[in-house]
Amino acid sequence: MTTILNKDFAWVVDRFEVMIKKESEVSVAIPAIKILTEVIRTSHATTIMGLQKDLEDATKQLKNCPFNQSISLSSVCDLFIRFVTRTSLDFPNFDQCKVNLIERGEQLSTKSSMSRTKISQLADKFIRDGVTILVHGYSRVVLALLLNAAFQGKRFSVIVTESRPDSSGYKTAIKLQAAKIPVKLIMDGGVSRIIDKVDYVLCGAEAIVENGGIVNKIGTYQISIVAKAFKKPFYVAAESFKFTRSYPLNQSDIESLKKESPNDFKVCQSCSNCEKLDLLTIDSPTLDYTPPSYITLLFTELGVLTPSAVSDELIKLYY
Amino acid sequence: MERQLETFILHLKRKTVAGSYQVSRATAEVLRHYISKEKWQNAQGLIEQIKAVGKRLIDAQPLEFCIGNIIRRVLFIIREEYLTMMKSNTNSDSASGAKQHTLLTYEDPEDIDYSESFPRLKASIIDGINELIDELEGLHRNVAEQAIEHIHANETIMTLGCSKTVEEFLKEAGRKRKFGVICVETAPSLEGHKTALSLSKAGIDTTLITDSAVFAMMSRVNKVIIGTHAVMANGGLVAQSGTHTLAVAAKYHSVPIVVCTGLYKLCPLYAYDQDTFNSFGSPGEYLKFEEAEYLESNVHSYNPTFDYIPPELVNLFITNIGGHNPSYIYRLLQEYYDPRDIFEDEQQ
Repeated sequence: MTTILNKDFAWVVDRFEVMIKKESEVSVAIPAIKILTEVIRTSHATTIMGLQKDLEDATKQLKNCPFNQSISLSSVCDLFIRFVTRTSLDFPNFDQCKVNLIERGEQLSTKSSMSRTKISQLADKFIRDGVTILVHGYSRVVLALLLNAAFQGKRFSVIVTESRPDSSGYKTAIKLQAAKIPVKLIMDGGVSRIIDKVDYVLCGAEAIVENGGIVNKIGTYQISIVAKAFKKPFYVAAESFKFTRSYPLNQSDIESLKKESPNDFKVCQSCSNCEKLDLLTIDSPTLDYTPPSYITLLFTELGVLTPSAVSDELIKLYY
Repeated sequence: MERQLETFILHLKRKTVAGSYQVSRATAEVLRHYISKEKWQNAQGLIEQIKAVGKRLIDAQPLEFCIGNIIRRVLFIIREEYLTMMKSNTNSDSASGAKQHTLLTYEDPEDIDYSESFPRLKASIIDGINELIDELEGLHRNVAEQAIEHIHANETIMTLGCSKTVEEFLKEAGRKRKFGVICVETAPSLEGHKTALSLSKAGIDTTLITDSAVFAMMSRVNKVIIGTHAVMANGGLVAQSGTHTLAVAAKYHSVPIVVCTGLYKLCPLYAYDQDTFNSFGSPGEYLKFEEAEYLESNVHSYNPTFDYIPPELVNLFITNIGGHNPSYIYRLLQEYYDPRDIFEDEQQ
């Protein structure tokens, strides 16, 4: 399905690229909201519908750009367009509406930059002295949470999975030990062996879906099943702009959320020596879907939520 | 007013006012008195004052969660009445209630200034608190009214400890249906004895068993009906010590667990393990002084007061507003408490 991109909004992609490169620590929401506010400001539309069309074109450009590393970009853009529609209902006068939208857009980006701090505060009580936390992958929200707790002087230790194929677990481990937190690095396959020494599992999310489940790095589902079998809590830390209006029923339903780029899964030597190469396929998806029954609590800036509360929050966001 | 507060705090500390129900009634009445007697300029000032009073009351009995709950209910009433007055005065339909607590709110609820003063605010707040006190008074009756739907003829019910709500519930059903109750004696307080006596006086067929017999008897039980000390935000329970064992045994035998409680026990806090909200009583309840002499210093004796029961083990909550699933608790929290009142008066 080819999407026709409006050339007028090609500048959006360039601007996005610049912003992402400048600040890699910041979540994708802030540059996205800033750019979309800019689109409103420079728009020549004279009606709300025209403005929405411009925003949709800009969003399409963003979603298709090669720098779209996370699926939360789509959810942020959808939320922003929804927000525009909502605000426009309160201001029948277009010019007044436009001014208000720009003002609110700026407020929104400020609020989003505060979300990680808020999540750290909310989840703070869950990190107590002497706990051992299992972390999967590299999540900036989880890191902010743990570093905040370490900064307050809490003593805890972290076990990090390697998180192949991109080995992002190493990045997490480096950042954690720099903050003087004791870190243990394990293989992805070693989770079941170590789980009884763990107090709870903490991971981030790329997207939170309607039923309270999450879409996250491959391996998250596996860890959640092990955690449930051992009755260990499974906590997810994510900002609220990651809430998406999608309802996956199984693993193949999440394929539509992200364009999987050709995998860079390193093939072992013996495989490339295979005689019948057409019989050998390598499957290396980067994401999996964890159903809500495996998740204990979600830490978002809207509060600490149970998975069943997520759909309620989604309704509030979208209607 | 200060003297009255001091007396009340003293009663709380000495546990002369004890038991969730008594404490809640007393707290609501003290707060009503405070609001009507004390001087306050506007809603914002009143909220701050109530929070300060609340902190003192909670410190007197930290594990009695319903004190905090009643204070949060009162604060929610204040905020609601203020918003109603503000809306009817300005006649605008912006900021539809303080419930829009999302990323995209038009008006950030944190920015709502509660500093306007309305002359009729005091009266409407007092009305709100009167409604709260009425709700507390009618609590046991409202819960008991639902008994008929849940207890059927010739059923065997298991219960634990001594809870007035559960007793009323069972007695109400006992008036119309014939069923049997197995009471667990709940050592070391042996409260189950009181329950068994009270139920048998009401003409209900009662059996008293020891705690260790719970698993063995569970296969004969149709339902487990228990009370609780508090309901946490995720639907978990902080209940009498021994309840967790009962819950796990019931889960094993696929016996439904029904919790009868008033909404005033609903707490917006999270318990993450058995020790978060727990205190330890004296081992003297089960260990005689003379025996302790022979135990040397190698034996440690623990007598925890409460158990934490995770929400997966609970099947139904019967409250004064009807029956609810544990996963619905978050909704009730949103309807009765304001998120801003949770962060401030944290326990521990």
